[in-house]
Amino acid sequence: MTRVQEIPLNATMQPMPLRSGERVETFRIAYDSLDGVRIGGWYCVPRASHIAPPYPGLLIVPGYISEPTLPKSWAKLGYASVGVAPRGKLGSNQQYNPGYPGLLVDNMVDRNTYAYRGFYVDAARAVDFLLGRPEVDHARIGVHGASQGGALTITTAALRPDAITCGAAGAPFLCGYLDAPRLSRSYPYEEITEYLRAYPERAAAVRETLNYFDGINFGPRIRCPMLLYVGLQDDVCAPETGFALHDALSCPKEILSYAGCAHDAGGIWAAPRVQAFLAEHLQPAGALVSA
Amino acid sequence: MITADIEAFWDAIDAELAALPAAAELEPMPLHSTDTATLYFVRLTSIGPYRISGYYSVPRTPRPAPGLLLTPRYGSVNHIPDFHDRERYAVLQLIHRGQRLADEPFAAEYPGLLTLGIESPETYVYRGIVADCLRGMEFLRAQPETGKIGVQGDDLALMTAARRPEVAAILASDLMLYRLLDAAARSDAYPVEEINDYLRAQPERRASVADTLRYFDPLYHVGRIRAQTMLPSGDDAAWLQPLRDALGTHAQEYRITHRGAEDNDTLDAWLAGQLGAEPRSRFLQNV
Repeated sequence: MTRVQEIPLNATMQPMPLRSGERVETFRIAYDSLDGVRIGGWYCVPRASHIAPPYPGLLIVPGYISEPTLPKSWAKLGYASVGVAPRGKLGSNQQYNPGYPGLLVDNMVDRNTYAYRGFYVDAARAVDFLLGRPEVDHARIGVHGASQGGALTITTAALRPDAITCGAAGAPFLCGYLDAPRLSRSYPYEEITEYLRAYPERAAAVRETLNYFDGINFGPRIRCPMLLYVGLQDDVCAPETGFALHDALSCPKEILSYAGCAHDAGGIWAAPRVQAFLAEHLQPAGALVSA
Repeated sequence: MITADIEAFWDAIDAELAALPAAAELEPMPLHSTDTATLYFVRLTSIGPYRISGYYSVPRTPRPAPGLLLTPRYGSVNHIPDFHDRERYAVLQLIHRGQRLADEPFAAEYPGLLTLGIESPETYVYRGIVADCLRGMEFLRAQPETGKIGVQGDDLALMTAARRPEVAAILASDLMLYRLLDAAARSDAYPVEEINDYLRAQPERRASVADTLRYFDPLYHVGRIRAQTMLPSGDDAAWLQPLRDALGTHAQEYRITHRGAEDNDTLDAWLAGQLGAEPRSRFLQNV
């Protein structure tokens, strides 16, 4: 991250009238990240006529096969919101495009070139984008996502403990991911099972690499309050890995668990809890406007 | 009820498909094959002509397996079929035009795909996408290892089954094209919000958008379906009632609990029962 901070952000914002409305203005954004890769995303900000600035910032991080979120609904609540597309996703795949399946195992034998080295940094750099916006209150920036978005919530909060106020992570992927493939036959972890079946002699190198990227190992670096939520029958990200992450956190923390739920992680019940948690720590004005 | 203009529109698409050889290519994917199933990357020609693709997995058993077509999700990426499905079914995950691995020369944008060419039924991108699904069903039907065939997905599953009577069972959820203008009036969530964005920018096109969507709304097609059709419903049970009415006795209803594992197990068991396969849970209980 020291090296990354020396890279100029070169942020650009392109208004998107088609995706804007009376209450929210939407921009397509881009900025530079590690290895000179240009990262894209969406930025949705309340119109001043709807809610006056400053706004809390909210970074929405995407799932493994999801498109980057266009976070208009969060902006309506009063957040200046970024939906980031880390490298390889649509909008950020001109220079790096390992595909799906592919991303999870791309250069998995080498921590210096493994896919998630740049991917994690790309998400964390979105915090710098928010810090560069005059309408954003730099003391109130949160991060939220589920699945791979849950993993990126953890790594971003850990890599930017100076800037992140709180984080909410659902069904966190990439936690305990030396063990997780043994607990699942579902993609994306199945990619690792397939890779090691084809190249069993590379297991030691894979193990060494993944230790550098395991979300559980990022946990102790997090200082802000964190909300986790998991499904107790999650076939994609086994609940054991979510609880292991929870154990590794030394920050203020809470974990919600939902019986009978899978990778949805009890979303219908968790979503209002997430919204309340973010509002408690980030204090958006949207609730006052709606009242 | 399907009207004569809609029927003629889709008959013409069937004729276009019939005039084009599928020119199927199957390429083994050993990295993603297992002891119990062989995976192939499939390429097919659909209308346009356009080269589409898919993942086709065949169980390593000597007897025919039930076939299962998984219609594409709304998004750029489709997963390889699930391990448990691959052990039970000859399963094709179709990849429609514009999605990754079928994105040359056309790469779909998200958001954007849902309104692409929506000015008329002839230009709407879903004309080609539904044809892609029909082509996928034709491919699956032609494979000697497939027995009964089911289809699982969203509106595309219903549209495919309506046009291909060989389908034995349908599991359709998370509908997007069904009553889309009504849905857009109730929601600001993407992808439905794409319609609101479009009509906010071009309100004078509402009538033509409504006319286009009529051709692609499964409500006007499911009257042709003769297979048992499972329609999981959310908390607003009345939302799907017109569709159930159009399906008549073929409609099966399940009220989702929002506990994803329980819902998935219930629906998996229903589909497996229809196709003569064993039910499976994706969650590994004893590891």
